[in-house]
Amino acid sequence: MDLKTNRQKSEKVGVDWLLLSAVAALVIIGLVFVYSASMYSAQKDFGNKYYFLTKQLVGALVGVVALAAMIFIPLDKAKKFALPMYIISLILLALVFVPGIGIENYGAKRWIGTGGFSVQPSEIAKFAFVLLAAKYMSDNSDKMKKFRGLLTVALMGVAICILVILEPNMSITMCVALVMLAMLFIGGVKIKHLALCILPLVVLVPVLIAIEPYRLARLMAYLDPWASPKGEGYQLIQSFYALGSGGWFGVGLFNSRQKFDFLPFAESDFIFAVIGEEIGFIGSVLVLGLFILLIYCGIKIAKKAVSRFECYLAAGISCVIAIQTLLNIAVVTGTIPPTGLPLPFISSGGSSLVVFMASVGILLNIDRNSRKQNRLAV
Amino acid sequence: MESSPYQTKQRLIALICISTFVFFILFARLFTLQIISGQSLQAKAVDQWTRDLPIIPKRGDILDTNGNVLASSETAYTVYVRAKSVTDAEFVAKNLSSLLQLDYEGVYDKVSNKGVSEVTLKRQVDAEVVDKIRNFNFNGVYVASEPSRVYTYGNFLSQVLGYVSVDNVGQSGIEAYYDKYLKGIKGQILTQSDLVGVELKDKETLFQPGIDGLDVVLTIDSVIQSVVENVMQLIMRMHNPKSAKAIVMDVETGEILAMGITPGLDLNNLPRDDMQTLLDYGRNTLLTDIYEPGSTFKIVTAAADLQEYKNGNSKAFSDKHVFGSSNYRIIDGSKISCWTSHNNGRHSNQTLSDALNNSCNPIFTDIALSLGKSTFYKYLDLFGLGKTTGIDFSGEQSGILVPQTSVTNGDLARIGFGQSIAVTPLQLISAVCCAVNGGLLMQPYLVKEIKSKDTLAARFTPTVRNRAISAEVSAQLALMLEGVVSGGSGKHAYIEGYRVGGKTGTAQKFENGKIAEGKYVSSFVGFFPANKPKYAAIVIVDEPVGQHYGSAVAAPYAKIIFEQIINYKNIKPYV
Repeated sequence: MDLKTNRQKSEKVGVDWLLLSAVAALVIIGLVFVYSASMYSAQKDFGNKYYFLTKQLVGALVGVVALAAMIFIPLDKAKKFALPMYIISLILLALVFVPGIGIENYGAKRWIGTGGFSVQPSEIAKFAFVLLAAKYMSDNSDKMKKFRGLLTVALMGVAICILVILEPNMSITMCVALVMLAMLFIGGVKIKHLALCILPLVVLVPVLIAIEPYRLARLMAYLDPWASPKGEGYQLIQSFYALGSGGWFGVGLFNSRQKFDFLPFAESDFIFAVIGEEIGFIGSVLVLGLFILLIYCGIKIAKKAVSRFECYLAAGISCVIAIQTLLNIAVVTGTIPPTGLPLPFISSGGSSLVVFMASVGILLNIDRNSRKQNRLAV
Repeated sequence: MESSPYQTKQRLIALICISTFVFFILFARLFTLQIISGQSLQAKAVDQWTRDLPIIPKRGDILDTNGNVLASSETAYTVYVRAKSVTDAEFVAKNLSSLLQLDYEGVYDKVSNKGVSEVTLKRQVDAEVVDKIRNFNFNGVYVASEPSRVYTYGNFLSQVLGYVSVDNVGQSGIEAYYDKYLKGIKGQILTQSDLVGVELKDKETLFQPGIDGLDVVLTIDSVIQSVVENVMQLIMRMHNPKSAKAIVMDVETGEILAMGITPGLDLNNLPRDDMQTLLDYGRNTLLTDIYEPGSTFKIVTAAADLQEYKNGNSKAFSDKHVFGSSNYRIIDGSKISCWTSHNNGRHSNQTLSDALNNSCNPIFTDIALSLGKSTFYKYLDLFGLGKTTGIDFSGEQSGILVPQTSVTNGDLARIGFGQSIAVTPLQLISAVCCAVNGGLLMQPYLVKEIKSKDTLAARFTPTVRNRAISAEVSAQLALMLEGVVSGGSGKHAYIEGYRVGGKTGTAQKFENGKIAEGKYVSSFVGFFPANKPKYAAIVIVDEPVGQHYGSAVAAPYAKIIFEQIINYKNIKPYV
C-alpha cells in the first residue's frame, strides 16, 4: 500500500502549476497583443495582418518544446557546460560585428543570422552569465565574502556588458549589469563590497552618455517629452497617449488607435502601451500581477532549491525576468529614460520568447528536483 | 545548502521585496498616466487620430428689391490626390490626365510623389468630369467641392456689392458688411486616419453638416440701377470726366434704389493683384469720398431760413423779402461775388425763390450771416451734416465742417452757398430728401431683408433720425425747388407734365489748398413729384471736360434717370 503510493509519487513528481499557468497566460496574452498591435502595420508592410502573429506563434511552439526539454535535462551536467556556454555566447556577441553575419538595424548591430531567421546573442548571454555565475558562486561560496570572489563574478558580467555596449545596446547593458548586481547580492557578498561595485557604474553612466550624444537627447526627452513632441519626445508622448486613452478599463481588445502607426514599436518594445490602451489600468495591473506571481514562484523555487547552484540559478533566472520586466514598464511609463528592451514573454520576437520559456523550463526543473528530495525526505 | 542558508533566504526575500516595491512604483505611475491624466492625454491623442475635411456652406445670394439675383454661388470642384493612398499610379495618371486634360507626366509626378501629403491636381472642374472621376473610384483621388462667387452682371453695382476673397470671405461692400449672414456655418467630416493620414475604412466617420448662408435682399432696384449705370456711361462719353456717379433714393423711406459709379470693376474678373485699382474703382466713393457741394447746398440754407421765419425769428427772412441786388458782399474785408454779374437787371430784387432759381450766392451769405452761427449750425446738424448717415455700409465719411467754435463770418457766409464745407454725396441727398419729404431726416439703407430660402430672418424698416423742419416749410421749399427746374437754373431737368424739383451745383476743386483752375465738380440734385416727392437723385460729374456747369453737365442726365423711372413705374403725368 505504502510502496504503491510511493511508486505513484515517483512517477508523478508534479510541476509548479501556478508558475506554469502564469507563464502560459503571459505567452497567450503576448500572442493576442502581438496580433492586435501589429495587425495594421503588418497588413500595410507585409500584406498579411497575421505576419507578426505567425512568427510569434512559431516562437511560442518552439518555446513550449524548449520549456519541456529544459524540465528534464540533468542540471548537474548543465553545470559542467556553464563555462563553454558562456564562452560561446561571448563569441556570438562578437559575431554581431562581423559583416555578413551581424545585422544592423536602427543604427545598432544587435542581431546575427541570415534571411528570415535572426537572434539577439545578448538574449542568450544574459542567461549564460547567470549559469556561469551560479556555478562559480556555488563552487566558491567561501570566496564570495572576499573581494576576489566578487571581482571574478563581476568580470564575467562586465565582459558581456562591454560587448553589448559596443553594439550599442544600452538597455541590455543595464539589464545585464543589474542582473550581475542581483547575482552578487544573492551570492552573499558583503554589502559594502557591493557598494564599491556600484560606484564605478555611477561614474560610467555620464561617460556613456558623453560618448553617444543621442543618449543625452533621449535623456532630455525623458525629462520633458513635450519639449520635442515631433522629435526625441515623440515615442514617449505616443506611449502616454496610448496609456492615457486606456483609462480604467481600456478602449477594448483590438480597439487601440495608437497602433495605427502612431506608436513606434507597438508590437515589440512598447507593446505594454497597447495593453494599457486596450484593457486599461485594471488590465495592465493584472498583467503585471502575472509577472509578480511568476517572479514570486521563481524566488520560492530558489529558496527550496536542493543545492546552492540550483538556488543561485533559479534566483538568477527570476532576476532576469524581474529586471527586464521592470525596465520595460519603466520605459513605457516614462519612469526612466527610453531604451529599447522587449517585455519578456509578451513582446514580439521569437528568439527572446524561446529563451525566456526555456529559462522557465529550468525553473521547473529545479522545482522538480526539490520536490523529488522532499518526497525522499518524507 | 552547505553554509549560511539563512542569509541566502533573507537576501531572496529582500529581492522579492525590492522588486515588488518597484512594481508598486510603476503601478502608481500607471495610475497617474491612465487615471489622473488619462482624459487630457486622450484628448490630445484624439487630435492626431482624426483628419477633418471642412464642408463649405453655400454662401448666401445677394438679391435686388424685386428678387433678382445679383450675386450667387456656384459649385466648382477641385480634384486632389494623396499620393500615399494611390495604389496604381500609372493607371490613375493615365485616366486623370485625359479626363482633366492635363499633361500625363505632370499628373504622374503628383500621384507618385509620396513625399507630400496632398496635392491639388486641378481646380474649377465641371460636375460632369467629376462624375466620371468618381466612377473610377480611384484610391487616393479626392474631389472637394468649393463654391465660387458669381455676379450676374459683372460690372454692375460693383462698388455696392463688393467682392469676396478667393476663400469666399467678404472683402468690401455688402459682401463684407453682411459677411456674417452671407457666409453660413461650416460643417465638417471627421475621418479616422493613421499617422500619415491614410483613412481607416472600418472606423466611423463623423458627418456634421454645415448651414448655408442667408440671402441678403437689397433696396436696390436693378431696373433703376441699370438706368443709372447707362446714364453714367453716357456722361463719360459726352463729357469725358474722371468719374460720373449718382444715387437714386426713396425720398420718404431713405431706401437706396440705385448707386452707380463709373468707372467700376468687373466683379467676375477682378484684378486681385492690383491693390490700387481695387481701391480706386472698388470703393463706394458716394459715401467714402467728400466734395464741396456748391450751390446744391443752398437748399439747406433756404430750409433753415424758412423754418426760422416760421418760428418767428426776426433775423430770418420771409419768402416775400426782397434781397439787395448787389452781386457781391464784403465780409470781414473779403469780397464774395455772385457767379455772374448783376448788370442789365439780372438778379435784381430777388425773393428767396428767385435767389434759388438764379442760384445767386450773395443772398445765401445774407441768410447764413443773419441767422448767425449757432442757429445755422443747429440746422446743419439737423440735416445730418458733419456726421455719418449711419448707412449699412463700411467706410462712410462724415464730411468736413468747420467746428462751430472756430467758424469765422467768412466761413459761415461761404457755407451758406455750399463752399467751405465738404460732404459725401450720400449726406447731401439725405439732407435734400429731408428738406422736401415733410422734414424728416431718414437713415439711408441698402438692405431691406435677410432671409433663408423659405424664412425671413430680419426685415429692416425706414428709420427716422430726426425732424429738421416742419411739413409745411418742407412743402413750401419743394415748390420753390420745382420752380428752379421749371423756370430757373435747373431747367434742363424739366419733364413736361411732371413736377420735378431740384438744384444745380458747380464747385471748383481744390488741390493742395488752392483752387485748381479748370477743375470742377458739377452736380444736380433733384426729386419728383414736387407735391409729394417720392424719387430723389443726385448726379455728380467729377472734372468734366468742356462745359462744366451743373445745369449742363448733370441736370440733363438726372432728367433721363427720372424719365426712365416714370416709364418703368408707369407714373401718370400731372394734370
